Amino acid sequence: MALIELKDVNKTYQGAQPLHVLKGINLDIEKGEFVSIMGASGSGKSTLLNILGILDNYDTGTYHLDGTLIKDLSEKQAAAYRNRMIGFIFQSFNLISFKTAVENVELPLYYQGMSRHKRRQLAMEYLDKMGLTDWAGHFPNEMSGGQKQRVAIARALITSPRIILADEPTGALDSKTSVEVMNLLTKLNKEDGMTIIVVTHESGVANQADKIIHIRDGVIGQIEENVRHDNWDSALIK
Amino acid sequence: MRLDRDTFREILDSLLRNRSRSFLTGFGVFWGVFMLMLLVGGGQGLRQLLEKNFEGFAQNTCIVYPEQTSKAYKGYQKGRWWGMTETDVDRVRAMVPELEIVTPIISRWGQSAVNGENTASASMKGVTPEYAGVETPKIKYGRYINQMDLADEKKVCVIGKRIYEQLFPGGGDPTGQRIAVSGIYYTVVGVDYNEGNMSINGRATEAISVPYTTMRKAYNFGKRINLLCVTAKEGVEMSSVIPRIRSIIQRAHSISPKDNQAVQLINTQLIFGIVDNLFKGINFLIWLIGLGTLLAGAIGVSNIMMVSVRERTVEIGIRRAIGATPKQILGQIMSESVILTVVAGMLGIVVSVGILAVVELAMTQDGILKAAFQVPFNTAVMAALLLAVLGVLAGLMPAVRAMGIKPVDAMRDE
Repeated sequence: MALIELKDVNKTYQGAQPLHVLKGINLDIEKGEFVSIMGASGSGKSTLLNILGILDNYDTGTYHLDGTLIKDLSEKQAAAYRNRMIGFIFQSFNLISFKTAVENVELPLYYQGMSRHKRRQLAMEYLDKMGLTDWAGHFPNEMSGGQKQRVAIARALITSPRIILADEPTGALDSKTSVEVMNLLTKLNKEDGMTIIVVTHESGVANQADKIIHIRDGVIGQIEENVRHDNWDSALIK
Repeated sequence: MRLDRDTFREILDSLLRNRSRSFLTGFGVFWGVFMLMLLVGGGQGLRQLLEKNFEGFAQNTCIVYPEQTSKAYKGYQKGRWWGMTETDVDRVRAMVPELEIVTPIISRWGQSAVNGENTASASMKGVTPEYAGVETPKIKYGRYINQMDLADEKKVCVIGKRIYEQLFPGGGDPTGQRIAVSGIYYTVVGVDYNEGNMSINGRATEAISVPYTTMRKAYNFGKRINLLCVTAKEGVEMSSVIPRIRSIIQRAHSISPKDNQAVQLINTQLIFGIVDNLFKGINFLIWLIGLGTLLAGAIGVSNIMMVSVRERTVEIGIRRAIGATPKQILGQIMSESVILTVVAGMLGIVVSVGILAVVELAMTQDGILKAAFQVPFNTAVMAALLLAVLGVLAGLMPAVRAMGIKPVDAMRDE
């Protein structure tokens, strides 16, 4: 069984005019894959990411994450699954401004109830991996965008999640740091076998992935194998 | 929610690292408690200062004294002067069994007391030992007039505080020394330190009390008396026996039973009652204003927390996204509110207690405290408990709102 299995997932936003956002998504993602999801705004890619991240519910269909059916969970269960199975990386980093880098990294462990000493040690380890040991005591507003995103990646990794979900991880970065951050993610995938899903609309970013999923108007349009990482233009055209 | 040191640190961090927000939030509660404690302490001190005026005075006393008649009766014209006599004492004592003490006073004003070179102006009172039950003396040296003094018509006296200070500027125990009052020598047997401002026939501090019988003889009072002081027995309402006392005296002196003006009765219970009611009213106002201010502070906390929760939508969203349960968020916001209110409130208590302590220091003379302004410990404890409850209530609404924040909101809100 694949790590992520979506079967005929539908999602409609209720409102004055109901919006059918996801129209029967079928998707399998294996463990250790590096996948990017591409699509125009309004295509439903953010909604798909929210469902994958257990941030949002879906109406019909099934979603299995590592063999567990993720459906109609209580808030408490959802929080626990998010905490242990999923690491989030956001476009705007979403670090807590009044916490230092190391405190931000250890926050998921705080919610696991790990002791202060142990989680500080672990957080320092992950910051070290990101090359940010010297920045542990700094607040987010004292760091550059690339550094902030690396802190966020450390925070995503610290619980050893099953998957990393990155929502436009380079959206707020310049091209040089974008490359650095994407290389970091690639390295995580190649060396640690981490399953990574990146949502983006930048083809350059998507090109780093092994598989590119194009989503259009709530359905999956095309799944591209991208082993050679050379389809810059083809991605742009589609 | 776990309540260990770790959770506490987490809450403290978010409070301390958002200092201005915490300060603004806590200030309302600080001010509320501060004002409440200050008002309660001040009210209590004021009351004690006022009560000082009635010091030593029995609260169920009635004083009877004659006035000009206002009605013609039994052939007498109106406007007649009349006087009470010793017989009235016996009459009232015999006919009103509800009374505890019935005692006469005779007095002379503007007497000059002399001890060597020192002189003092005094009012002289002829009293019986029972009078101590009406106006309790605060004996500093010696004793009060006793039954023996009365029986033997001894030339002894008890002097008030001012007289003592003027006649014996060197201080020390004056008992056994002799002072002259209008040419007659009396042996001082006691010093009365009572400083109450409400006293019969002159202030206690400026009074020289001598045995009733001695004074009657020395100044030829005969059977005349100036005042009649009575106190009621335990559990007897003074106002219920007053009409009987009045009618007994009216009958004995051929005064119209309708002539209330001729027989004056001062019921101290009534005066004490008025003061008591006054302070009940003041107390009520104090608590109303104090609690109102406190409540306004708590609502302020709630309000600012509400705004703060809105402001922290992203932060809370992040926390939710990385695994905080709604309960944990609720706990965090509530704890923040409780800690903020309790700490700010405690600070208010401490500062107000400090200020009241300074006031007390200023009110202390010769090491003797005039009135206690300090709030009682129980009141402070109650205020602290109240604060905790207010903290919970103030945090409730914002916490519930915070609980409603979805993790997706963290991403949407940029």
